[in-house]
Amino acid sequence: MIHAPLSTTSVLDEATDTVALTAAPWAGVLMITALPYRCLQALFLDELLEVGSGASHYGNLLGGTANLTVAMLLLALWGRAVYARACRLAAARGTRPGRETWRVPPAALASYVLTASAAMLLGYISLFTCLGFAVAVMFSGLAVGTLELNERVSITQPFRTIFRYSKRVGIPFALVLLFACAVVVAVVNLAAAFRLGTWLAGASGGFDAPHWQALFGAGNRRFILVLFAGAVVLVEPFWIAANVLYVRKANAEESGDDLRAWFEELKEA
Amino acid sequence: MTPALQRCAFHEQRPAFARCMSCSKMLCQECATQWDGIWHCAACLTAQRGSVVRHRPIPAWIAVVTASLILLFAGARVMVWTAAVIAGLF
Repeated sequence: MIHAPLSTTSVLDEATDTVALTAAPWAGVLMITALPYRCLQALFLDELLEVGSGASHYGNLLGGTANLTVAMLLLALWGRAVYARACRLAAARGTRPGRETWRVPPAALASYVLTASAAMLLGYISLFTCLGFAVAVMFSGLAVGTLELNERVSITQPFRTIFRYSKRVGIPFALVLLFACAVVVAVVNLAAAFRLGTWLAGASGGFDAPHWQALFGAGNRRFILVLFAGAVVLVEPFWIAANVLYVRKANAEESGDDLRAWFEELKEA
Repeated sequence: MTPALQRCAFHEQRPAFARCMSCSKMLCQECATQWDGIWHCAACLTAQRGSVVRHRPIPAWIAVVTASLILLFAGARVMVWTAAVIAGLF
């Protein structure tokens, strides 16, 4: 159902409902498939910080981790495709999606791998510029949102579809900014959860609380990197749901379905 | 026309139940078929099925898989290159 006209707030509201419908087990599938990729990204950054300015002499070490990270990206992309399909089915029916969620059309998955790879490349190239990186993230979000609109395999069609939905740039860009803030909030909450857990465990005997508190502190670089990886994994279901719903609502606005739904609501009121 | 007055495109005497997402025709319960969460009429469903069977885009598949592999490979290389450049700045 289309509940409200297209806007950032309506997309976020409906994304929350969709995540509630798809939380079990589809958000779990997404998180499990995304974890290796995010952990390897954290490992790559850890190695980079370890070698520091001598990074150019450690090409083999960093290259090996980068290759593994990109390989795990393929698993993460499959998980995202399954979750995006779950979101679309949940939004269309208003019920929990069933086993048909596993059946992601091969053409849609192949198109998504292509666009997501392009988004990743664009992201790394534009890492030096804040705006360029934000555009790459927005492109990545629209790639997952438009995934199932690709009924046939094509090199150009998936990009054309993404550009079609990026014309109304305000909403996707607002989503990028909001979710960047959401990742920071998730990091703070995760850090607090670890602190609370250590404090509670310290109340029981035989637990070396000071040692664990030092490990779960801001001084531990690896802990901070894992916190960021965990925060991104936690926020990702909402991010994907928001992008799927944005595309769905933009589609409904073009076809007039949102007006029909609004008229039905007026009649019932 | 209000939705309450809408009739099936194939059975004028029956009230509309759904709309075909491909041709936008109104359909009664008998004519509407839900496939993959989306309502279709029989003609559009047959056309879609036919197009899937007829269309064998092997060159397109090869092109997409090759382009994806090139982009993934380039992504891994650029990842290391960017990391080395950023590390060199500090």
